[in-house]
Amino acid sequence: MTTKAGVMGADWAGPGSSVRWWRDFKWSTLLWSLVFPARPESIAPTLPGLLLIALSLGIGSAAYNTGNNILFIALSLLLSCLILSGVLSWLNFSGLRWRLVPGPALRVGHDAAVALELRSVKKFLPTYGLWFDLRAVNTSSGPHSISSGQADSGPGEKKSVREILAAVDKAETRARLFLRDRLDAGEEAHLEWIFQPARRGVLRLELSGVGSLFPFGFLRKTLGGGLRREVVVWPAPVEYRGEGTSVAPRRPQAGDRVARVGSSSDLLALRRYEAGDSHRLIHWKASARLGKLVVRQFAAESAEGFTLWLRTPAEIWTRAEQFELLVSFVATLAEDLFRAGKLLCAVVNDGPPMAVRGVRDLEEFMDQLAVVVCVGEVESRESRAESKKSEAGNAALLERRNIITFAPDGARGVAAYVDGEKTAAA
Amino acid sequence: MSMEKKRPQLNLDELHQLKWLLGGALALLSAWSVPYLDVNAWPLMLTVTVLVPLMLLRPDWAARWPAWAHWLVFPSVVLFFAVDLYLTKEVLPAFVRLTLLLLIYRGTSLRQRRDDLQLIVLGLLLIVVAGVLTVSLTFAAQILAFTACALVFMLIITLVEAKDAGEKTFKSGKSENVPAWTRAPWRPLFARLHAVMDWRVAALGTALFLGVVGVSALLFLTFPRFELANSLFLDRLVTRHTHSGFSDTIHFGDATDITLDTSVALRVEVPDPAKLPAELYWRMIVLDEYHDGEFRASALLRNQDEVYFNENSLLGTERGGGPGAWIFYLEPGVSRYLPLVGGFATLRLGARTDLRANLTTRVVALRSDPATLVAYRVTGMPIAATLPAVTPGMGVRSLGTMGESDRAALRRLAGEIDGGAHLGATEFARRATAWLAKRHGYALQIHLPPGAGDPLVRWLSSPAPGYCELFAGALVMLERAAGHPARVVAGFEGGDWNGFENYLMVRNSDAHAWCEVYDDTARAWQRVDPTPGATSAIDEAAALAEPLARRVSARSWAARFDSLRLLWYRHIVNFDQRSQRETLLAVKDATQQIGLRLSAAAARMVAEVRAWLSAPWNGRRTAKFSVVAGGAMLLLVAARRVRWRWRWRLGATRRVDPVRREAGRLLRRIANRGLRTEANADLAGVRAELQRLRYGACETWPASGAVFRRARRLARR
Repeated sequence: MTTKAGVMGADWAGPGSSVRWWRDFKWSTLLWSLVFPARPESIAPTLPGLLLIALSLGIGSAAYNTGNNILFIALSLLLSCLILSGVLSWLNFSGLRWRLVPGPALRVGHDAAVALELRSVKKFLPTYGLWFDLRAVNTSSGPHSISSGQADSGPGEKKSVREILAAVDKAETRARLFLRDRLDAGEEAHLEWIFQPARRGVLRLELSGVGSLFPFGFLRKTLGGGLRREVVVWPAPVEYRGEGTSVAPRRPQAGDRVARVGSSSDLLALRRYEAGDSHRLIHWKASARLGKLVVRQFAAESAEGFTLWLRTPAEIWTRAEQFELLVSFVATLAEDLFRAGKLLCAVVNDGPPMAVRGVRDLEEFMDQLAVVVCVGEVESRESRAESKKSEAGNAALLERRNIITFAPDGARGVAAYVDGEKTAAA
Repeated sequence: MSMEKKRPQLNLDELHQLKWLLGGALALLSAWSVPYLDVNAWPLMLTVTVLVPLMLLRPDWAARWPAWAHWLVFPSVVLFFAVDLYLTKEVLPAFVRLTLLLLIYRGTSLRQRRDDLQLIVLGLLLIVVAGVLTVSLTFAAQILAFTACALVFMLIITLVEAKDAGEKTFKSGKSENVPAWTRAPWRPLFARLHAVMDWRVAALGTALFLGVVGVSALLFLTFPRFELANSLFLDRLVTRHTHSGFSDTIHFGDATDITLDTSVALRVEVPDPAKLPAELYWRMIVLDEYHDGEFRASALLRNQDEVYFNENSLLGTERGGGPGAWIFYLEPGVSRYLPLVGGFATLRLGARTDLRANLTTRVVALRSDPATLVAYRVTGMPIAATLPAVTPGMGVRSLGTMGESDRAALRRLAGEIDGGAHLGATEFARRATAWLAKRHGYALQIHLPPGAGDPLVRWLSSPAPGYCELFAGALVMLERAAGHPARVVAGFEGGDWNGFENYLMVRNSDAHAWCEVYDDTARAWQRVDPTPGATSAIDEAAALAEPLARRVSARSWAARFDSLRLLWYRHIVNFDQRSQRETLLAVKDATQQIGLRLSAAAARMVAEVRAWLSAPWNGRRTAKFSVVAGGAMLLLVAARRVRWRWRWRLGATRRVDPVRREAGRLLRRIANRGLRTEANADLAGVRAELQRLRYGACETWPASGAVFRRARRLARR
């Protein structure tokens, strides 16, 4: 899984994220923001706030109506309490920074954990009563729409506004996390958001707002969260059954390698040191960086294995559900084969073959699966034209054996074929 | 969520306990403002005072209100208010009692968020209404305490909501769901509060609250003041009764027992204290008609009243009454008649109100008894015992409805006084005063002689003692029997000088009645005070010999407290557009003065230093200069070190630890001196320890002071 910083980009956000904020400080900006707050920032009165405003208006009009100084005193106290509320709220927000840390892997249907790290860089003032509005928006469209330009519902079919809104709601998950306890100066807090992604694809995690009613609950102050991260959600694992000829091992050929531990000179991966490992295998540089002993693993010299070739022409995969099943099936098969040390290579449509030597390669393939869409005839031709450079690789691929391809199996199912022979179905 | 915490935190139950405590305190604070109102709500006040503290201690009892009781509260309260309003016909007292009833309910039952808000609003309304109606100095203390308490209360509500976000809260009326915090003991809460408290946060909170007070003072001073054309509405909702007993009539009953009320009724800022006479008479009401044993204002006088609607200034008939202004602060409940020394050029009130002014008698009255303090400013008011008559010769000589026998008795007594000679009004008054003083003593408790006929004539015919009204009434009737117009004037006499803020305090016990007789030759009304012991206005020269301010000067604690009251009235209650302008000008002048003084002092200092430097230098001067400069430098360095250490301890500076810094400095010093460790084992040890202090973990440090001392000793060698 990969994550990448979004538009706003910075790792930390929030009022305390800039160490030398006063360098960018301008009084004119501050005054203007008081008059007209920036877009994500808002100040709205709560019920007690409205009550206070109504009370102030009442007392103020009575004071001006009568010239009674007792009423003027009450009015000035109410207004100064409002000012105090603003000052305390500002002190509460200031010196705070936050960032989003997504979990290691997100899969459809599995619990995903997104941590919100909160750090106070204040001198001594604590922070109270914040809430964080989080959104997870799936930015990927349906399997057909991106490349073929067709709507999910098919050409010529128009969606009603209600359906569009429902689709938007479905694509979006919202949550509000509360800072229930006091956050002291110089301390950190971790708030965790656990949710289940509903669709594979690119998921945009957003901290849409940070709000507070502190200190007196008069005003609901909301700052823009300023954080946006994109994460990839892998397809869900599916159950499948083996059929007909099992996936048979083939004779090894020169140049074939499998992503499993061996004794060749190619580095396969790094792993933690375990008792009994040779000290000569310790990767000192990585160990120093990680603060723990890490050893190198080398790939096997040769092995039997399979090549996964996923082809997604729109004319074959006409049903969205079937297409999703295909992608999930491929992802599950890739994982199982990798776990068994039998996955040599993976290809998506006319792309270049990708040798799967290690976990990183598998993750890259899963990332591709997360965003794969149906390709139309035109695009297919275009992509073929563009991928002439990889033709040599594809020619070599076609010469290989143990190539697993996929085709619809009835109206809903998907079947896997090894060299044209049906092997498994989901 | 995982968090590392140094200080403990209050849990939800403890926050609820604290909220309950503050809510009760708010209810009590606001309820205790009611006694300052002249509203009959003592039973409810006592109920609040007993029930709310009881429920504060036992919130589990408050949680046991049955659900049906909550449903019944609202209709019961509405019914109570309706009946109260119907029976008393007074809106404000009924409103106050309604508020107290709601405070009792909110203070004795568990509250949700909206109930807490209702408690705050009710309390604030009660305090503000009490403040508006009483303008008491206590209001300042009450509103400040209430504000502080309410702010902390709302803060706790916010913290409870933040901690309780998304959780189920207690719903009042469900007794089976009694929250656990109601059974928690109170003592551990205070121990927890002590543990949770951070003195820096508490200090900042206190400073911020002081800032709130400062900002509100600033806002109060700078609010643009402009007058709209309506007067205060609240005082119309309550009926006031005068405390001093001033009224349109003086009735001479059979027996009278006057109780002395020594509370201050009137405060007066005078233009020139040195010119105050020893005896001052504050005229309030003129009564010229005697009817059925009582004095009252005649229809003739009343017809001369001019009615002003919604005015705040009057033009008088006096011209050239002396510079300066008199500022009066008349306490509520004293009278609707405004005390004045005499005529005036202008009279200006703090707020617009309905007035009745009689420029013939120089009497100004409000439309009704004021519910609040009345402040007014009078200019051109001469201090004199005579009052020029606006319409010469117009005065009442009638003996009223007196019977023939009483008239004959009066004439006989008048003849006894003047001895059959036709005396002028002033001379007759002098003799009559002496005659009265000879026959009657002074007493506050009197019993008029029994019998038929006019009570005044009965008293005159007897040797019974009397009080001021009897003496004044008797003299007026004697003057009239002798053929001179005369009238009774009621008001105050005298006053105590408050030396703390330089003003006159006139008490309710200074209430007095005297006479004014019409002097044909002077065409003026002459003041005569026949009460024994009073300085006769006729001896005016003697009266003016010793100013009042010098004669009576109160310096007691009560006077000091009363001066605070005057400051409150002067700077807060009576603050208006003119005061605002004057304050701003004073601030401007003070700033300019300070600037001028500072620049003059700086110039003087520069000149002195220059002169000192230009003087011939000798050894002694050089040594002196060196000592001063060295001392100043040392002080500066010491101050910087202390400040730096203080800031480092507070965590305000992120620079290196002072111990590490000193160790680094000594290491550099040793290195610069070129000391070789090989030749000196002691030096090697010191250097190692310095390096440990400079770079090592704090836990491994040796005693830094000893190491530094050894290092300095070695570096000096």
